[in-house]
Amino acid sequence: MNGCSQDKNQKQAFLNGVAYPIHKGETILSFSRRLNDSNVIPTLCDDTRLEPYGSCRVCSVDVALTADGSRKVMASCHTPIGEGMHIFTHSLRIEKLRKNIVELVLSDLPEQTLAKSQENPSTEFEQVVIASGVSEVRFKQGRKSVASVPLALNKKGENSLCDDSHPYMRMDLSLCIDCNRCVRACDEIQGEQVLSVAGRGFDARIIKGQDVNFNDSDCVSCGACAQTCPTGAITDVFRQNLAKANQSESDTAPINKVRTICSYCGVGCNLEVSVQNNKILSIEAPKDAAVNSGHTCLKGRYAWRFYNHDDRLDSPLVKIDGKLTKVSWDYAFEYIAKRLTNIKTEHGSDAIAGISSARCTNEENYLLQKMMRAVIGTNNIDCCARVCHSPTAFGMQKSFGTGAATNSIDDLKQTEFILLIGANPTAAHPVTGAKIKQKVMKGTPLIVLDPVKTELALYANWHIQLRPGTNVAVLNMMAYFIIQANLVDEEFVITRTEEYQSYRQAIMALDIDELATIAGVDKTLVKQAAIAYAKANNAMSFHGLGVTEHSQGSRAIMCIADLVMLTGNVGRQGVGMNPLRGQNNVQGAADMGCQPHQGAGYFPVDDEANISYYQEHYDISEDSLVNLSQWPTEIGYKIPEMFNAALAGDLKALWILGEDVVQTDPNQQHVVASLANLELLIVQEIFLSETAKMADVVLPGTSFLEKSGTFTNGERRVQKVNAVVSPREGCKTDGQIIVEMMQALDYKQEQYTSVNELAEKVLHEIAQVVPFFAGITWNNLGDNGLQWPVTKKGIDTKILHTDSFKRGLGKFHFFEFEESQEVLTNIDKYPLILTTSRNLEHYNAGTMTRRTGNEDIVSEDVLLVSNQDAAEKGISDQSKVRLFSARGEIILTAQISDKVKQGILFTTFHFPELMINRVTGDVTDKHTKCPEYKVVAVDIERI
Amino acid sequence: MSKNLSQLARRQGIDNTLFQKLVITDAIDKSTNLKQQRKVLAKKFLVGEAVVHGAASFYDFLDDGSSSHNANKKAYVCNGSSCLCANTQTKVAETLVNQFGFDNVGHVTCLGRCAENGAFQIEDHNFSGNDIENLAIIAKEPSTASNGHYQVRCTLATPILTAEISETAKYYQLFNELSKQYEKQDLLDKLVESGLRGRGGAGFPTGIKWRSCLDEKGLAENKPEKYIVCNADEGDAGAFSDRYLLEQRPHAVLFGMLMAGFLTKAKTGVLYIRAEYPEAIKQTEQAISEFEQLKLNNKLAVDFIFKIIKGAGAYICGEETALLRSIEGQRPVVSVRPPFPTQSGLFGCPTVVNNVETFGSIHFIYSNLADKDNSGVAQYKNLGNGKSTGSKLLSLDGAFKKPGIIEVAMGTPLTEVIELAGGFVKEIKALHIGGPLGGVVPLSEVDKLTIDFESFATNGFLLGHASIIGIPQAMPMIDYIAHLFEFTALESCGKCYPCQIGSVRGQEMIEQAISGQHQIDKELLNDLLETMQLGSLCALGGGVPLPIQNILQYFCDEISPYFLSTKNEHVGEQS
Repeated sequence: MNGCSQDKNQKQAFLNGVAYPIHKGETILSFSRRLNDSNVIPTLCDDTRLEPYGSCRVCSVDVALTADGSRKVMASCHTPIGEGMHIFTHSLRIEKLRKNIVELVLSDLPEQTLAKSQENPSTEFEQVVIASGVSEVRFKQGRKSVASVPLALNKKGENSLCDDSHPYMRMDLSLCIDCNRCVRACDEIQGEQVLSVAGRGFDARIIKGQDVNFNDSDCVSCGACAQTCPTGAITDVFRQNLAKANQSESDTAPINKVRTICSYCGVGCNLEVSVQNNKILSIEAPKDAAVNSGHTCLKGRYAWRFYNHDDRLDSPLVKIDGKLTKVSWDYAFEYIAKRLTNIKTEHGSDAIAGISSARCTNEENYLLQKMMRAVIGTNNIDCCARVCHSPTAFGMQKSFGTGAATNSIDDLKQTEFILLIGANPTAAHPVTGAKIKQKVMKGTPLIVLDPVKTELALYANWHIQLRPGTNVAVLNMMAYFIIQANLVDEEFVITRTEEYQSYRQAIMALDIDELATIAGVDKTLVKQAAIAYAKANNAMSFHGLGVTEHSQGSRAIMCIADLVMLTGNVGRQGVGMNPLRGQNNVQGAADMGCQPHQGAGYFPVDDEANISYYQEHYDISEDSLVNLSQWPTEIGYKIPEMFNAALAGDLKALWILGEDVVQTDPNQQHVVASLANLELLIVQEIFLSETAKMADVVLPGTSFLEKSGTFTNGERRVQKVNAVVSPREGCKTDGQIIVEMMQALDYKQEQYTSVNELAEKVLHEIAQVVPFFAGITWNNLGDNGLQWPVTKKGIDTKILHTDSFKRGLGKFHFFEFEESQEVLTNIDKYPLILTTSRNLEHYNAGTMTRRTGNEDIVSEDVLLVSNQDAAEKGISDQSKVRLFSARGEIILTAQISDKVKQGILFTTFHFPELMINRVTGDVTDKHTKCPEYKVVAVDIERI
Repeated sequence: MSKNLSQLARRQGIDNTLFQKLVITDAIDKSTNLKQQRKVLAKKFLVGEAVVHGAASFYDFLDDGSSSHNANKKAYVCNGSSCLCANTQTKVAETLVNQFGFDNVGHVTCLGRCAENGAFQIEDHNFSGNDIENLAIIAKEPSTASNGHYQVRCTLATPILTAEISETAKYYQLFNELSKQYEKQDLLDKLVESGLRGRGGAGFPTGIKWRSCLDEKGLAENKPEKYIVCNADEGDAGAFSDRYLLEQRPHAVLFGMLMAGFLTKAKTGVLYIRAEYPEAIKQTEQAISEFEQLKLNNKLAVDFIFKIIKGAGAYICGEETALLRSIEGQRPVVSVRPPFPTQSGLFGCPTVVNNVETFGSIHFIYSNLADKDNSGVAQYKNLGNGKSTGSKLLSLDGAFKKPGIIEVAMGTPLTEVIELAGGFVKEIKALHIGGPLGGVVPLSEVDKLTIDFESFATNGFLLGHASIIGIPQAMPMIDYIAHLFEFTALESCGKCYPCQIGSVRGQEMIEQAISGQHQIDKELLNDLLETMQLGSLCALGGGVPLPIQNILQYFCDEISPYFLSTKNEHVGEQS
């Protein structure tokens, strides 16, 4: 017999007597699974994402070298399939062996396990019990390994086996079968090694840390252990609810699983949400997700309970007599329409501006910019990319022609070297961070360029701990050493780039010792790192806001692009320049045209041809609301310019979609004063944020769990967001709000009957306007999305600039290091430098994460202070300190840490009541006005 | 195993292993807070605290923070099979407890004093024979010489493993000659031709193993990093031939490793020596410094270094993959194969792991290569039956009148060995040959066997590491089965279910039968043995059924009262 078409050269093996081709690197188990043979090989310790382990032996099969030859029992999970092998998956002796092994396992589990499995096999383990055909446990009552597990006090104060110490994680070792999947997931997926095993033999048992409880351990709550556990010995509070719902006899409502995309960061993890009665029970990560293969972090997996939090807004609010008062939707729309029209008539379209949200879908972003341009008639539209990655988009466009990641995260598999600049991905982009950590632990060399000793810096071969604000100096030093060592990829530079000679000249004229002093780095270390980077065959670079949020942010981006081009690390697998996008859809918000200088698809708005292009696509005629002659032709305000214009009285109305600018934009007093000076502030929000409190109209929108549409992740992957539950009572999806507003303003935007219809039809409209979306349809996005550009035929693009750059030739740019104005002006009075970043547990202003159990894990922002500074200022660990700058002051807890060098302070900004942005300054990137959050001249004192 | 942990260990290198830090810190620094110490270690080695605790808690001689741990005791009493059969340990244990108190006496599985029995350890000094009579003196002055002694004999015209090494400089001269005069491939061919097979028990052809390691490129193509590891974790109760070689012929072992390094392009040799053999560690250290001296004096032109790793009490570390993980600071649980150590061994690099005795044979094999008819290779392969060649060291325990080490040619009849050893000191009913996983040979079968892999295998036994323990008439075979299950349960790494759970259920089944609680269900016992044999990941769980099945088969009458079965069937028959 032959299982498939014949190819004489194709190597074959036999599965239960049928010949099939074999693939290189396959095990017997993966071979049999690929063939979807009906004789499924059961296993307990296997998880396809983990290295074969071979502990359960349940996957054993009979193997012979000829059909009738003598057979040997082998574990299929770790035995490579070989040519001519005859595999028998269910011979009599194999079935007996499996049954006997499972019987042994059952002999060490609670007595009722077998009966429970037979009655309702719900866990993976129980299903294997049934498949093995065990009908009784013949061993006389013997020792139970769980007897050696020490008891500990639980939350009720009882001595218990169950560890309930943690806000999310749960452990009950009486159910554990020692398959070690949790230990391996913690190591091989997350890379934390919080779990291991203590003791040996029968009494070996899973431990956390040095045998402490979950809460006291270094667990990062990624949930990888709970997701892979086949018995429920390790689980989490939500899975427990799901299990209960599955077994409930009283509530038989169906439990649906809806796939959607996480809204916490630019990684774009796919989530599988279990819902019953319009309520979320639990979230898991689908194993087949291209982005996250069954993994995600504690934000994606656990921090979702904000969606039905009591604080959710449930009605439009209008400020009446100085008080926000509940009104109907009709009233709200009418009110806004009247006031906007008045302002437009009195002060012109440019007195109105919009700030869109990188948290919202592409469709919503597209609609808001369309409303501003085609309904209001202004280019005053920007989004929070302004305050994070606008320099990336700007700089990479200048160097390469496209302001987006050149490669995919999956390229990490091929890369041989990693350059990580100004990013802390294990906290801010946990799934990508974990992938990088996996590579680095296994030996891939890593350079970390960061003022803070981040988790990855500990593993780095070279950690260049520069002073905040000196990226350009160090990047130029690296270029110098590469050129000096003759390690430039000459062929690449000659054939693919321009302006190299002048760049080279400028670089070689630099005073390296001076730059080293400025940056506070050891030049030998920089030299070694630069040379190693240049010598690597395939090097990938990643960068984050530690590059962009600087006065020289855009310039530093172009300096990175210079290094990438110098070494020819662009245009193929395993290389490239890859921004780690902060928000889930920051790529998409810019792609959709939420920028004052470029419309949807990045066409400059002040170019005549482009103006016609947009007018044509938005059906603009002489009769339109904003007609051909009223069409905006000037570049609009960037966010910081909006605040300035408001303060100056030029800007009268501002529409903010899902951003809490009061808390997240720098120099809070300035922001508050600006907003206060507006005639009309409209805010779309899910909670009454600090910004919403200042609004004249608040429109209750929805979270991502209640809407459909698309998000574009940091690797240009457009993925489907599917509504999991219906919008909260009284709320409308943000897209629907904008559509109804457009209609209230007398624009004929189509009426959509459902959240899905809006998503599908607006996406279709986008595909007509944005060329790199040309081939995207709601249907062809499938489960794993498509990476733009997508051709009309639906072919997507994993790697950009393969044969030529988008702009033709890649362009070298040289920039001198320039000290930030903040340092020049304030350093004498405020001699320390404060730099800020995210932690793992919280997201931005904490609007969402602080309304979840994450608040129990980390409940304040602390200030990291070096030993030397602490000693000098007489500050002790965990004491309160006053932190002050030229703008303002706050009080927070100090933590003495070796993560920062002398002279540098570090904090996070998740607890807005601390008002860290009272301290931050006004300096922005010269090209994009991205604020310099990362360099603030401050001082501290003991209180 | 964890690739991450292997590679993180590789960064630190062989001179800075987490495992040795644990062994050494635990030994010298008993005062500071253990948790704090290990937290610092975890940070330093960039691993989770659980990794450090998990590894430490695996070993008998490392503190796991629990009250019941066996680390840092004043005295250890041997509970190995030979001392058990010699029935010396009740008295030894009582005497030690009287001297030091119950809580200060730990256990150790086999100190390799099987020729004398009555073995115990105090402060890294081993004692045996009638040493226990002098405990009062020993307790005060543990460096007091032990009375332990055994005979070393050889039946060959030219000794191979037991040959005296008079002048080290001259001994290593052979390396200088070989490395200059021969191509690596030629030397590997000659090794294959000699027929040398691994002496650890599995009998894999050594030349083929070394060649496959030479062929491996390793992690960095241009700069191969490879290792030679000597498995000196001689944990088989009853075996002490490796101990003999390391204590008395360490240069033979070092020479073999040096050649392996030359032939595979490895530059580092690691000797993993069990903590139970303090004298072997001392003698090997001494030999290494002599080797270093030769290099310094330009008598030996070679870029090769040796490193000793001291074990911490875990039988499973004798399994090669567990041994490698142990060095790396991981929990020494057995890894799946492939990849084989020659492909991915220590720190993920190509590695040759061989037994002490295997390395010990190399010098002889490579002697006189120019003399075609009388070269070492020719002499070696002419000994034995063609498949098992050369000589073999046998460890004879205290049941023999002349216990000790005997070197015999492969193929020597077992009866001849017994004769040479002068017979037995007491009435015995069986020989347990080849360690706990070797077969139990009833006296009736002795004359069928010759000392070689094939003879043992075809008769349903196992040559293994060729230790021979006499099981006395007085030892109830049901107790011996219980002992074998108990040993397996204590030493199982706990990874695979058949061994982890099976050994405990087996032990319980036998103990319940001994106590009269439940008679043994024959079908269930046979199922259990078959499950362990077919299903286990390594030779421990897979091997222990053999001696048990031997007992079930040959001592059927003695043990049948313990079985439920009333029918007149042979309980040992396999289904």
